[in-house]
Amino acid sequence: MMKGRSLLRWAGLLVAVALVSVWGHEAQSSKAEVSSAGSYADIVTIDVIGKMGSTELPAVTYRHDLHTEAMKKLNKDCSACHKTQDGKMSLKFMRTEDGSAEELKSLYHTNCFACHAEQAAAGNNTGPQDGECRACHNPNPADTSAWKEVGMDKSLHYRHTAAKTIKVSGQDVNCGACHHVYEPATKKAEWKKQTEDSCRACHKTESTPVAEGADKMKPALNDAAHAACVTCHVKTTGDTGPVTCAGCHTAEAQKQYKVVKDVPRLDRGQPDAALVAADDVKKAKLPAVAFNHKLHETALDNCRTCHHEKIASCTECHTLAGKKEGNFVQLEQAMHAVKDKASCVGCHNTAKADPSCAGCHGLMPKAAASEQSCATCHVKEAPKGEELANMDKDQKKAAAAALVSMRPTAMPVYNEEDIPETVEIGALVDKFEASKMPHRKIVKTMIAAVAGSKMAAGFHTDPGTFCQGCHHNSPVSKTPPKCQSCHGKPFEAAKGDRPGLKAAYHQQCMGCHAAMKLEKPKATACKECHAERTN
Amino acid sequence: MHRRKFLSLLGGAGLASAMGATKVRAAGNHTFNGYPDAMGVLHDSTRCIGCRKCEQACAEVNNLPKPSAAYDDLSVLDTKRRTDAKTYTVVNKYNTAGLENPIFRKQQCNHCQEPACASACFVKAFTKNPDGSVTYNGDLCVGCRYCMVACPFGVPTFEYDDPLDPLVQKCTMCHPRIQEGKLPGCVEKCPKEALTFGKREDLLAIARDRIRKYPDRYENHIYGEKEAGGTNWLYLSPVPHTELGMPVVGKTSAPELTSGALGAVPMVVGIWPVLLAGAYGISKRKEKIAAEEKAEAVREAIEKTQASADGAMKTALDKAAKDKAAAVDREVKKAVAEAQKEFDEKLAAMQAPAEDDSDAGESPEEEA
Repeated sequence: MMKGRSLLRWAGLLVAVALVSVWGHEAQSSKAEVSSAGSYADIVTIDVIGKMGSTELPAVTYRHDLHTEAMKKLNKDCSACHKTQDGKMSLKFMRTEDGSAEELKSLYHTNCFACHAEQAAAGNNTGPQDGECRACHNPNPADTSAWKEVGMDKSLHYRHTAAKTIKVSGQDVNCGACHHVYEPATKKAEWKKQTEDSCRACHKTESTPVAEGADKMKPALNDAAHAACVTCHVKTTGDTGPVTCAGCHTAEAQKQYKVVKDVPRLDRGQPDAALVAADDVKKAKLPAVAFNHKLHETALDNCRTCHHEKIASCTECHTLAGKKEGNFVQLEQAMHAVKDKASCVGCHNTAKADPSCAGCHGLMPKAAASEQSCATCHVKEAPKGEELANMDKDQKKAAAAALVSMRPTAMPVYNEEDIPETVEIGALVDKFEASKMPHRKIVKTMIAAVAGSKMAAGFHTDPGTFCQGCHHNSPVSKTPPKCQSCHGKPFEAAKGDRPGLKAAYHQQCMGCHAAMKLEKPKATACKECHAERTN
Repeated sequence: MHRRKFLSLLGGAGLASAMGATKVRAAGNHTFNGYPDAMGVLHDSTRCIGCRKCEQACAEVNNLPKPSAAYDDLSVLDTKRRTDAKTYTVVNKYNTAGLENPIFRKQQCNHCQEPACASACFVKAFTKNPDGSVTYNGDLCVGCRYCMVACPFGVPTFEYDDPLDPLVQKCTMCHPRIQEGKLPGCVEKCPKEALTFGKREDLLAIARDRIRKYPDRYENHIYGEKEAGGTNWLYLSPVPHTELGMPVVGKTSAPELTSGALGAVPMVVGIWPVLLAGAYGISKRKEKIAAEEKAEAVREAIEKTQASADGAMKTALDKAAKDKAAAVDREVKKAVAEAQKEFDEKLAAMQAPAEDDSDAGESPEEEA
């Protein structure tokens, strides 16, 4: 039996909870009414004091493009908020250097309030005034960020290198406009030919010393990129890049970029072909793999997929045992991880999703790389062990070039007369006439679909390999076994999940048609393949 | 009976039934994991093309009437359908976002390992057979339709248009055909083996194997492996099963949910008469004792009153006797005194003429 006192206490608690929940709900709904919540790419969180230590109020959620627009209307430019020092516009607000927390607080408050008050007095729609703390210092802002990462792909890079508006005085190429490395002798960032790398290679998420033990700091990636791109776009007249957040950081904007299809090859001293050899070649049992660098440059629209942050040889970070620089990803995984787009096998697997490949490859188990494919890359002609260890750079280069040139450029196929023209399937004559499959026509269509693919040429090593898409689980042969050899009665426990004959045909044909996105014949249009019996 | 007494009895009954229930629940550790060699069917939505051949086969093997739309009319798939007394299975089309092609799912009885319909049926019209099928015997059915309420998948249907002997109808997994060594009608007819027939445990292995081999083709969830305590029909799907209209039913079978409470019923039913009879006996005995005590008390009271009354009477009588005696005494004395006086007077009178001079002081006593 509950005592009166504790009963009262419980009742009190319940009432309190009810009140809080009702009030909280009220508060929330009222907040939703005052602000028009949206999704924006220009949301900046101002937390400069927060990074120094604790703050009195939560960080400020600020919309940059909104202010840029407002300034434009007032015929003001970036200088309204950004100061310039040594001819460079600072990305900080109304300052070039961060002061103490107190200074920063008063700097922001003074300037923001002053401008808002001025605009309010002029009768313009403006931002929060002094005293409306939570309008800016809102821990749960209604607006959500639609910010999307943007990257330099090959086409965008080419448009910069080819731009007449970007010039470096005294040089015929404009790489130096963006690319630089820190030179300890002159204590300056200078362009050095053939050292070009992605910004990420040096500029990390936080600012770091320019060199080991140096006092001078290099900006974080975010600051470095905006200082380089936005200030240049602002300065450049005529055909120039985006100057607003939304101009780069929305999917819509990125879709509208002009794409240059055939980009000339970059000139950075990269090899045409390279031997991918383990750090300890004596431990590596398999022959080294020749990597066709030139081919992959054209196949991909960026360098980052394989090179991550830094342009370097894979084996520099991915060793047999794995090391810290490579996130402890071993060389074997870096090359063969089935589900990772950055590995060779993983990327080749995603390429198989193309409709012209998926017809066969979609029906093949994806859980592991095929055992048959080791020798496709690790060819026995390639050097290994002692032989590889004794090679110098040029010899390796030559060996890689030779191995790549050995590779087929077209897929080997059987002669036309060796490919049966029609295959009559008479297994189900209880309802339909025998089905005449135009075998040769199908095979030729499929071959034509992958005719231009170097990958198909390289991996379908034997004329019979291609046939294995349908004639699976049997050795490569010009005369593979008939379907009936293995597929018969359905659901025989001893055969596991092997389909019966009818389903084998239907799964193969329909599965392939669906994967190749063929509209006709429809899977449910029986008569397209099976003529109705006449007798 | 007094209210308080009645309540305490009720409490006693509750306690007894609760004890009964714990006993039953403890006994409920013996779970039924299905018959070891039970068959089942695996439906793979990645293979189904929505051709409705299974519907056709089902109607043929079960002698069901032809529907209004022909089986090769696939436009019926544009509306969601459910099974009824004349249709044991339907295929529905689901257009889930993010996929170019629609997905099809066949719907029929799932043949639970521990069927809710059978557990709800109080005349045992439903049977879970060792071959995995759940069948129904219309001769036993009383038409209460509890099975329809109990089924988590909404499977059993009723012949509402039969005024005389309406029966419940549902898929039988082709129990008669399985007994003959044949395949269920729908499975036999499926052109793509979207329906795989086999032992349930083999089907689970097959389903897991497919998920392992084609991880990006399947949702990693075999619907029916655990749902509703496990069903003999299993499902594979490229999308979460709920997107194909599968209900979220939890892992516990319906009988398991109710066995505790229902197991206590006989206990409670058995215990109530005993308990109430006992209570009645006790109260009766109490009444009897009370009556006896009351009579005794009355007797004692009467005796006591009697005794005190007698005592009073006695003293009163004694007193009266004493008074009487005293009065008699007094009267006697009085009479004697008066008589004496009279005699004396008479004597005096007689003596007076004779002796005038004689002393008057002479006492009569002396004379007497």
